[in-house]
Amino acid sequence: MRRTTWWLATLAAVLLGVAAPAAAEVGVTADRILIGTSQSFSGPLVFPGTEEIAGIEAYLEYVNQSGGIHGRKIEWKWYDDGYKPQDAVANMKRLVEQDQVFCILINQGTSPVMAVVPYLEQKKVPLMFPFQGSSRLHGKKYVFTSFTYYDTQTQIVTRWLVEKKGFKRIGIIYQDDAYGKFFLNTLKKELEAKGLKIAAAESVKRGATDVAPQVAKIAQAGLDACLLALVPGPGAQVLKEAAKIGLKKTKLISSGPLTDEKFLILSGGVGEGVWGLSLWPDPVRDDSPAMQEYRKILKKYRPGHEPNRYNLYGYFYTKLFCEGLKRAGKDLTREKLIQALESIQNWENGIIPAVSFGPGDHQAQDQGFMVEVQGGRFVPVSGWLGIRDGKLVESPL
Amino acid sequence: MFWQLVVSGLATGCVYALVALGLTLIYRATEHVNFAQGELAMVGAFLGFTLHVHLQLPVWAAVLGGAVLGGAVGWVCELAVIRPAEGQPHVNVFIITLGLSIVLKSLAGMVWSHDEFPFPPLFSPRGVRLGSVVVTPLNLGTIAVALGIMVGLFAFFRYTRHGVAMRAVCENPEAAQLMGVEVRRVYAFAWILSAGLSALAGALIAPVLNLSTHMGAVVIPAFAAAILGGWGSFPGAIAGGMALGVIENLAGGYLAAQIKNMVPFLVVLAVLVARPQGLLGEREVRKV
Repeated sequence: MRRTTWWLATLAAVLLGVAAPAAAEVGVTADRILIGTSQSFSGPLVFPGTEEIAGIEAYLEYVNQSGGIHGRKIEWKWYDDGYKPQDAVANMKRLVEQDQVFCILINQGTSPVMAVVPYLEQKKVPLMFPFQGSSRLHGKKYVFTSFTYYDTQTQIVTRWLVEKKGFKRIGIIYQDDAYGKFFLNTLKKELEAKGLKIAAAESVKRGATDVAPQVAKIAQAGLDACLLALVPGPGAQVLKEAAKIGLKKTKLISSGPLTDEKFLILSGGVGEGVWGLSLWPDPVRDDSPAMQEYRKILKKYRPGHEPNRYNLYGYFYTKLFCEGLKRAGKDLTREKLIQALESIQNWENGIIPAVSFGPGDHQAQDQGFMVEVQGGRFVPVSGWLGIRDGKLVESPL
Repeated sequence: MFWQLVVSGLATGCVYALVALGLTLIYRATEHVNFAQGELAMVGAFLGFTLHVHLQLPVWAAVLGGAVLGGAVGWVCELAVIRPAEGQPHVNVFIITLGLSIVLKSLAGMVWSHDEFPFPPLFSPRGVRLGSVVVTPLNLGTIAVALGIMVGLFAFFRYTRHGVAMRAVCENPEAAQLMGVEVRRVYAFAWILSAGLSALAGALIAPVLNLSTHMGAVVIPAFAAAILGGWGSFPGAIAGGMALGVIENLAGGYLAAQIKNMVPFLVVLAVLVARPQGLLGEREVRKV
């Protein structure tokens, strides 16, 4: 009798031991899901990086405290790549092969992101919402992208300026790298399609000390509007230099990622009247219920962090990721997560326009709205703008 | 546009010049090349910023306080990592200062974060129209401070005991020591003065560049300025800095985007080929 029990127990253990890994997915156990990412905890993008992580962690802790998703808590592992592509690749290999994460949530920067995509695609590891806007990630099965592509952003701004404002002489000051050239090239194409020519194009090297030459040339060109495809520091330098030489005739317009409170703070109050394309509602002042909830959760779980567009990004896309996890159901696998996300249609969220995905459509947002700096803040001057069938369309905010 | 670019370039060039002066000071006293000079400027500017924001000192007092504290940081660096390497080849010390620059940048990030901050300007950044040129008190103030410091340094080396001692140590450390000069004290003093000057330079450029831990990159144009003017020469550092600032701006204003960034360094190369001792450097002649 005792011997039989022992045998049965052994048999059961062996069966369970064989059965359990077959049913489960990498990084998923009965009570936890392990995710990871490689981010900028040092290097030039350290501020956006740490803020995105703060937003991610705030939302994940909120979810874990509310009982997790299908009874599973979400755990995470983050590594620093300092915006270096080779480090980003090494981190991803470590996350996938050694730590065995379920998926990657929100990494950052065009070059580090591009460097890791082939590897993640090959390993069939989902990459959720990298913080970048190059359209080259379009149509990848294991990648879901976040905000409006840089070329769509430029299309929206150019058409709004030409069609709604009747501007003709348009130029650009861009960062002298792949990022800046995304905006430059689309602007050229868009203007040519309207029978116009780019009236001035000036580049700024990252870490430049003086932008006086660029602003002087823009002033000389007598533009109606000048796009700024820069990061906040140099963007603020341009505003200060323009204020100094009294450049009033030309509207300065910040691109999507530049339309950020930091850009205004750094410019020291000379930004009044500047226009920009905004991808987000005002993180500090917008009082829709969804935005109030965001500030409440951020304050509770990451009290050292003031609301800004980077931690709002981390928060919002983690929320969307968790929506996918919920829809994927109890028997979570990587393939099911992708199917679940693809099933999302018109997901009303109170922060950006309703999100819809589908097979072959993994982009969360493709609109933005125009703002003007009034009294030191971005005030909307248009509805949500997007491009549908090659035409500029506007819908209420 | 020409004169506009010249004035703006002179102001930027003065900041290069101040950092280049710091490099020159340390080189003249110790024959070491200090790669951490830019980080000393950055830390000094952050210290001044902290005094202004947390102790609510007026900007001028905070900037001066930052220069004094920055000098103290220079002293600590000299005591902690440079002095132990005394007598080692220059290349060792150069690598030590390279490490020091990385350590200072990381420590500053831990204390103040790697975020960017708006730095209150010492002089008004509002433009004033003079004929066809718009200048700001910030531009003019920066130029005035740099020239004032150069005159002060000149007087210091010519008329004070410390200054004469430093020159003596530079010429011949052994002989100076035999004559009763405390060589180690002179080395420490060179670091303090150099770091203090760089802190001041940091505070002058921060309103334009924004205060951040990445500001240390200003050491690269400062090196170029010091070499252009004549490595080891004080007037050369000033002239080289101003020339580099103006060349950069004129290249940006009149040349195509693709080549403007390399023009300043082409000029440095051309000057060095034609005149290896730099614009104002002394030609070293070795008699065998």
